[in-house]
Amino acid sequence: MNIWELYKNSNWVEPFLMGSICLFVGISAVLYLLIIESRNRKIKQEKLRNDYEQIIVELMYSVVFMDTPFSSVKEDPNYVMFFKNAYFREVLNESVINLHKNYDGVYALKLEQFYKESELINSSFKKLKNHKWEVKCKGITELAEMNITDASDKIISLSKSKNKVLKITAINAAIRLEGINGIIHLTEHPYPIDDWTQLNIINAFKKHDIGDTQGVEYLLESKNTTVVALGLKLIKELKLTQKLHHVEQLTERAPNILIQYEAQSVLKALTVNLISE
Amino acid sequence: MTFFNSETTWFLDVYILLILGYAILIMSSYLILAYLSTKALRSYLKKNSFVDYEVLLTSEFAPKLSLIAPAYNEGFTIEENVKSLLSLNYNNYQVIVVNDGSKDNSMEILINTYNLVLTELKYDSKIETKKVRGIYISQNAAFKKLIVVDKENGGKADALNVGLNIAQNPYVVCIDVDCILDKDSLLKLAKPFLESHGKRIIATGGVVRIANQCVIRNGRLVEVHIPDVMLPRIQVLEYLRAFLLGRMAWGRLDGLLLISGAFGAFDKEIALLSGGYDTKTVGEDMELVVRMRRYMVENKLPYSVSYIPDPLCWTEAPEDFKIFKKQRSRWMRGTIETLTIHKKMFLNPKYKLLGIVSIPYWTFFEFLAPAIEFIGLLITLIFIFFGFINWHFFLLLVLFVYTFAVFFSVIALFSEEYTYHKYPKQADFFKLLLAAFIEPLYFHPLTVYAALVGYKEKVMGTKGWGEMTRKGFTKKE
Repeated sequence: MNIWELYKNSNWVEPFLMGSICLFVGISAVLYLLIIESRNRKIKQEKLRNDYEQIIVELMYSVVFMDTPFSSVKEDPNYVMFFKNAYFREVLNESVINLHKNYDGVYALKLEQFYKESELINSSFKKLKNHKWEVKCKGITELAEMNITDASDKIISLSKSKNKVLKITAINAAIRLEGINGIIHLTEHPYPIDDWTQLNIINAFKKHDIGDTQGVEYLLESKNTTVVALGLKLIKELKLTQKLHHVEQLTERAPNILIQYEAQSVLKALTVNLISE
Repeated sequence: MTFFNSETTWFLDVYILLILGYAILIMSSYLILAYLSTKALRSYLKKNSFVDYEVLLTSEFAPKLSLIAPAYNEGFTIEENVKSLLSLNYNNYQVIVVNDGSKDNSMEILINTYNLVLTELKYDSKIETKKVRGIYISQNAAFKKLIVVDKENGGKADALNVGLNIAQNPYVVCIDVDCILDKDSLLKLAKPFLESHGKRIIATGGVVRIANQCVIRNGRLVEVHIPDVMLPRIQVLEYLRAFLLGRMAWGRLDGLLLISGAFGAFDKEIALLSGGYDTKTVGEDMELVVRMRRYMVENKLPYSVSYIPDPLCWTEAPEDFKIFKKQRSRWMRGTIETLTIHKKMFLNPKYKLLGIVSIPYWTFFEFLAPAIEFIGLLITLIFIFFGFINWHFFLLLVLFVYTFAVFFSVIALFSEEYTYHKYPKQADFFKLLLAAFIEPLYFHPLTVYAALVGYKEKVMGTKGWGEMTRKGFTKKE
């Protein structure tokens, strides 16, 4: 029987339409239930989070302001159960990281100590090994925030990733932990670094107030012109007048007109800065 | 079972095959696009959760933008609208308000509110436009970003061209002055211009959503609500379907033909080289994107058009059928005009995905769909009149189409739930769900009718936008 005959006898039409209608109705019902389930889950999770956050506020208060050592917190029957709960630990981790962003000096050190002793650090390290890039990013930001320099090598190696978001997150973290040494490997970077990534790198220097910029001039020697452009932007944004002669040298041996033009513009801006100083 | 009674002819069989085939084709294309959109959306949101937009706020290297806001008889809201444009979260930008020969007191309000004075700034007419009467800047340093141009009336496209001629920055953001922008909208729109991988980003567009009955305070959207009136309510659903399940996929495929005129950014140099906005069409937003793309392909320049799925711009949807009809018939005329101007691209492999997929898709599923539906309806009525119809089959077919429409709306709601979750209230969700059931019976026939009016207007040679009165946002506090 050819296709036309098959079509003409029309036996397929009714089952096809009925099947499609059932499928549409069935999937719509499933999607509807999933939406309802998602909404309920969000409400429950929100409530649980609020409960946990109240407990965590008390816990953090005693750790940061009352110098309660983690060993006694660990044995406190009020907290023992919670420490075994994965979701509680996740909320705790977020709270510690967020608190650390707001504190300096001795309070920040206490939080770092708590982060290590409570083994939250281990979960951050574990995240670096996860196959999902977004989990890796989370681990990187946590470790960088808590100034865990032991993670530097791993983070620098992750900054060579081809995944742009992971690369930017890791470079930002490396800058925070290692300063200019965190990006010096970029001189050998084989691929172009786009403007967005460059802006993130510059922002990381400004945000973390990296004072020691010894070595930034190496970026100007890279064969990768986007790395050279990054070096120039860094020198300009951070007003590194002490790098003036490196920029001067670059204007003489610039790999292309665009870089030469940028170098001249940086030179001009720095000279103006120097005069005004 | 047979399709028809014994009188059925070969012609009728072929007709039914075509109708069913067309329905299956259009439904499959929707589902494929929805699948691609959902995938792209998930990926975007994952990446976006690690993006720090503050980077752009604090950097002198952030792309410099010129906002162009054409205004025609906006006296009622212009003061607040311009204020909200001047207070966006971005540093490197200027605002160019083009008063397109308003008949009301818009210009007077602007001069008084912003302390404007005429400047000697020379008007360089790179694109031909109607006469510019004057260019104003503010004497108040707080409004140094603002430039107001007063010109003779020439329509939206002409006003945008004046803005393009005046803009001093390399990127222009064209907006409707009465739209409510998210405070980070410029940051999000500018980012793709920094991310090109050897390809020039010539345009970026964001998602537009419906703001009827939302709470607006100081030009900012502070609370999202679903409209009580059914027509705008269904448009909320329609926009979710279009932006979350359609354009995201086209953006991913780099086959996007339309960046909404309400809010989109363009590379000024390419926009000017392409000739700017076409003043002869009412679909100037779509036409410009197609022409810019065409320019890049014909000049063998690598390029891309970027799409941001975040809801960046909130607009007022028509609540009244008369205005809705005007809007939709104009959209149809714009589509016909753009497809006609660029008919050379249709199935032309030189234009790659654009010529092979995007343009034919718009031709068959956007331009021709209402005509096909209307012809189908007429033929069905004839069949009923002559007693040809097999009611059992006919009802199954109607149910097939109806359940698909509801199903597709539910996918849109599902996608919204798992991504932006902008309608967290249960009542709002159920309002939208109800709209999903009503949409195929009430809203869809209206859109088909409005599109048919668009065909008629095109044939009759109707030009221009017609008066588009807006109700203004209800500030529901």
